Amino acid sequence: MDHIDHILIVDDDREIRDLISGYLKKNGLRVTVAADGRQMRSFLDADRVDLIVLDVMMPGDDGLVLCRELRAGKHKATPILMLTARTDETDRIVGLEMGADDYLAKPFAARELLARIKAILRRTRMLPPNLQVTEAGQLLTFGEWQLDTTARHLLDKDGTAVALSGAEYRLLRVFLDHPQRVLSRDQLLNLTQGREAELFERSIDLLVSRVRQRLRDDAREPAYIKTVRSEGYVLAMPVEITTARQ
Amino acid sequence: MNVVGRLRGLLHLPRTLRWRLFLILFAGLAAAHILSFGVLFLERTMSTKATMLTTLENDVATSVALLDRLPAEERPRWLPMLDRQTYRYQLGPGLPGVPELSPRADEIAQTINAAAGSRFPVTVQSVPGGDREHLQAHITLSDGSPLTIDVTPQLMPLASWLPYVLVAQLLLLLFCAWLAVRLAIRPLLRFANAAEALDPSRKVGRLEEGGPTEVAYAATAFNAMRDRIAHYLEERVQILAAISHDLQTPITRMKLRAEMADEGPEKEKLINDLSQIETLVREGVAYARSAHGDAEKPTRIDIGSFVESIVFDYQDTGKPVACAKLTDAVVTTRPHALRRILTNLVDNALKFAGEAEVNVERIHGGRVCIAVLDKGPGIPADQLDAVLQPFYRLEQSRNRDTGGTGLGLAIAHQLASAIGGSLTLRNRPEGGLSAEVRLG
Repeated sequence: MDHIDHILIVDDDREIRDLISGYLKKNGLRVTVAADGRQMRSFLDADRVDLIVLDVMMPGDDGLVLCRELRAGKHKATPILMLTARTDETDRIVGLEMGADDYLAKPFAARELLARIKAILRRTRMLPPNLQVTEAGQLLTFGEWQLDTTARHLLDKDGTAVALSGAEYRLLRVFLDHPQRVLSRDQLLNLTQGREAELFERSIDLLVSRVRQRLRDDAREPAYIKTVRSEGYVLAMPVEITTARQ
Repeated sequence: MNVVGRLRGLLHLPRTLRWRLFLILFAGLAAAHILSFGVLFLERTMSTKATMLTTLENDVATSVALLDRLPAEERPRWLPMLDRQTYRYQLGPGLPGVPELSPRADEIAQTINAAAGSRFPVTVQSVPGGDREHLQAHITLSDGSPLTIDVTPQLMPLASWLPYVLVAQLLLLLFCAWLAVRLAIRPLLRFANAAEALDPSRKVGRLEEGGPTEVAYAATAFNAMRDRIAHYLEERVQILAAISHDLQTPITRMKLRAEMADEGPEKEKLINDLSQIETLVREGVAYARSAHGDAEKPTRIDIGSFVESIVFDYQDTGKPVACAKLTDAVVTTRPHALRRILTNLVDNALKFAGEAEVNVERIHGGRVCIAVLDKGPGIPADQLDAVLQPFYRLEQSRNRDTGGTGLGLAIAHQLASAIGGSLTLRNRPEGGLSAEVRLG
C-alpha cells in the first residue's frame, strides 16, 4: 500500500508557507497550507492529516493555543511540530508541555524540517498504538527514579535532578516506552537514532553502561536495565506514568 | 596642599564618617561641659574666699580686742568660745615656723594684719610638716603676753559624690553621641547595601520607605530610581526581542529561498552569510535576556552528572571535550542558565584551542567550582576583564570567522552573576585559558 504522508502547515507568513510546502512537495509529501487557526480547523474537519507543522507566533490564536486545542479534541493523536522564533529553552518547554511532539526554532533549514518531520512520523509509525511515545509534560516513574520528559532529566527519590546527555536520554526513553520487553541492539540503535538526526557513533553497550551509571545501577547485577544474553537488553521494571508537573 | 588638606593631615581624622561624626559631637559636648564646669568652679572659689577673708578679718579683730581686754587669768575660759572651724586661738608662743608663705597664706596673713596689725605687732609664719597647710600668727597683746592664732585653711569644699556625677554625665554624653551617630549612619549604610545588591529584575529587596522624613524621602527616591532601571532593562530586552522577531521571518524566507536555489558557489556564500546574521540575532537576544536571571526556577541538581552529560553531548558529536575531575555534589541552581554558560565556555575553548577539558571541584565554603580549561593561546593579562564585555574582540581575532559574535563570554558572564555565581578568566601557568564558574 502506497501511503503518501499528508502534512498541514499553519503559518501566517504566506511566503514561508509556500516555500516550505514547495520543498516538502518536491520531497514526496502531500502538503496543505493554512494561514490561521480558522483555516486550520475548517481543513481538519474535511480531511485527515498525518502531521501538523504549527507556527507559534501568529496573530489571533497563537500556536500554543491551537496546540492545546488540538490536544484536547479529536486530533490528540496527530503529531505536531512547532515552529517558533524564540530559541529560549523555557519556550521549548512551554511548547512541549502544550503537547507538541517536537520543536524547531526559526530560522531553520528546510532540510532540518524535513528530517524532523520524517523522524516524528517514523517514531509514531514504529510503535503500536498502545505503546505510543508518552506525551511530554509527564513524569515516568520506575523503581526509585522518575524521568521528567520535558526537562529531560532524572529525579532521584530526594527530588534532585540528575542530568542526562542527549543520547542517554533517548536510550532511556526507548526503554521506558517499552518496559519489560527485550530489545535487540539493532532495535535500540534504530529507535534511539530516530528522534534527532545527529551523528551517533557510540555503541549501544557503552551507552547502556552510561545510563546504568546514571541510575546508580550495579553493572554486575543491574536492577534496572538487565542484559539478556545474545538477545539484547530489557528494562526489568514496570513504568508508571504520572501526569502533569505540579 | 590646601589648608583643609594640611589640617586633615595634621589631625589624622579617622576615615569613617561614623568616627568623624562621633568625634565632633563628643568633643564639642565634652568641651562645653568642661568649660561650664570650670567657670562654675572658679566663681565658687572666688566667692567662698571673699566670704572667708571678710569673716576672718572681722572675727580676728573682735576676738583679739576681746582677749586683750580680758584679765590674763580669765582668757583660757574664753578661748573655746572663740574657736572656729579653720582657726583657733592659743595662749603662748606657738610652734616654730618659717617666714615663707604660699600665695594663699599671704592673703590670710594680710587679712590678719589688717584686723590686728594696727594695734599689736603681728608675725605670720607657716608651720612646715603635715599634709595640710598650717600657719600661725603670733601676736603680742598689750600686757606683753603672747597669743597665737593657729590657722589650718580649709581646702575648697568639694562634695565626695561630685566626681561620680561627672563620670555619669560623661557616660551620658558618650551614649547620646553614639545614638545620634547611629541614627545618622544607619540609613546611609542601608542605602549603600541596597545599591550594592541592586537587581532590578527582582521584586524583592526594595528599601523600606519609613523612618525620619529625610530618610523616607531618600528611600522613596532610591526605589523610584530602581524601578526606572528595571524599566529600561525591560525595554532593552523588549526592543531586542522585537527586532529579532521581526528579523526572523525575513531571514527564514531568505534561508528557505537560498536552499531552494540552484547549486553553486553563490548559494553557499549566501547560506553562510545568513547563518552569521542568524547567530548574531540569536546571541543578541540571549545577551539581552541574560540580564534577567529570573525566568527559570532554581532546581536541585547533581552537578557531577550535569557536567558529564554536557561533556558526553560534545563527545557524541565528535568534539574533543574531556572530563578529568568530577565531584559528586548537589547544588541548587538554574540548570538551563548553567548549561548555557558552560557550553559557551566550551565552544570558546574549542574555537581557540581545538579542545577542552571540564573539571568540577569543591572549593572552600562547600561551594562548587567548574573550570573549563584549554591549551590555546590564552588571553593577554590586561584584556582578561575586557573580553567579558559584549562585542569585545581580541586584536588577533578581529576576523569574524574566528571571532564569533563577541557575545559568548559576555552572555556567560552575565548569566553567571544572574544565577548568583561568578565567572573568572585566568591564564594557566602551563599555557592556555582557564574559565572558572563558581556557584553561589
